[in-house]
Amino acid sequence: MKKTALIIIAVLGILLLRAAEDLPSWGDPQSPASVHLSNYYLEESYEETSVPNIVTAVLADYRSYDTLFETVVIFCAGITVLLILRRTPRRWPKVISPRPNRPGADIILQTAARLLVPMMQLFALYVVAHGHHSPGGGFQGGVILGASLILLALSYDIEMALHRFKEKFVLLFSAGGVLLYAAIGLVCLYLGRNFLAYGAWADLLGISELAAHSHGMLGVEIGVAITVLCIMFSLYIDLASGGDLDEGL
Amino acid sequence: MLDILVILCMAAGLFFFFGTTVGIIRFPDFYTRTHAAGKGDTLSVMLMLAGLALYNLHHLSLATLLVSGKIGIICVVVFIASPTATHAIMDAGYEAKVRSWSRPGAPKDPDDDGQDNSGEKL
Repeated sequence: MKKTALIIIAVLGILLLRAAEDLPSWGDPQSPASVHLSNYYLEESYEETSVPNIVTAVLADYRSYDTLFETVVIFCAGITVLLILRRTPRRWPKVISPRPNRPGADIILQTAARLLVPMMQLFALYVVAHGHHSPGGGFQGGVILGASLILLALSYDIEMALHRFKEKFVLLFSAGGVLLYAAIGLVCLYLGRNFLAYGAWADLLGISELAAHSHGMLGVEIGVAITVLCIMFSLYIDLASGGDLDEGL
Repeated sequence: MLDILVILCMAAGLFFFFGTTVGIIRFPDFYTRTHAAGKGDTLSVMLMLAGLALYNLHHLSLATLLVSGKIGIICVVVFIASPTATHAIMDAGYEAKVRSWSRPGAPKDPDDDGQDNSGEKL
């Protein structure tokens, strides 16, 4: 069995290496990818979307459909962890030992967390909103938002964080982010354009098509950020407490 | 004039960074190493960031002031986050009863129960 696996790996490796010889060399300006499509994005994306950050324009406008399902992938990952850990009868005792009860001992951590969490959340909103102009966007901002909640849960405890953001709402919002994304696209479809062709929003909002592209991308990024935030937090609370949400790390 | 300040800040930052690295590698146990990482890192990062912020002010304008202000905010965040993280790591080590170093031949610490849970050769 092991030998068969080795032979398969060796054959596949040789095939892949042979195929890799035909790839264009690294950074070749004459390669098909940089001759046809890249030039178009570099030259036209600002005129068509009024978004200076080309990466965001490609990610959230030209390939918006792809990004929608990337968000769905994250949502599915979170839901899978939830399905496995929550409400599953436990056959073995929990591996994670309960955290020692030390009243007053975590005051340094808690004070620092109280100072840092608002700063982190403000910065996350900046990353989400500024994704058009600088590196950033929904995924990154959502991760920072989720990390701020995880910091809260780490330095206080899971119950305190869950008291601030109930599990019911975490799950509702994690689906809501994806739905917001899809809804923005469906409105375009309803108005007779293609799915996620943000130009359709121009008449609804009373703005130019260019501004509609920009605002549509912002809406989509906000949807992504909400989903990523909720899935990050849901993953943490389920993994840290073994699915019981009572106490954890 | 500004250049001299910048060079001083950067050189001091590099010096403390070097000290931190030597400390992390050469100190005898978990607590002293973490101590070196927490103190030296914070100070040297702040010195170097201050040097960068000053260097950025060569052409004084609103844009460069904004960038320097952002670097200043990074300084504040590092100043809060880095020592707290070190404290948390060290506290976790203490909670897990990692044994602290003492000079060979020194009288034994009465709190030490002789169990070393750190899995670390001293």
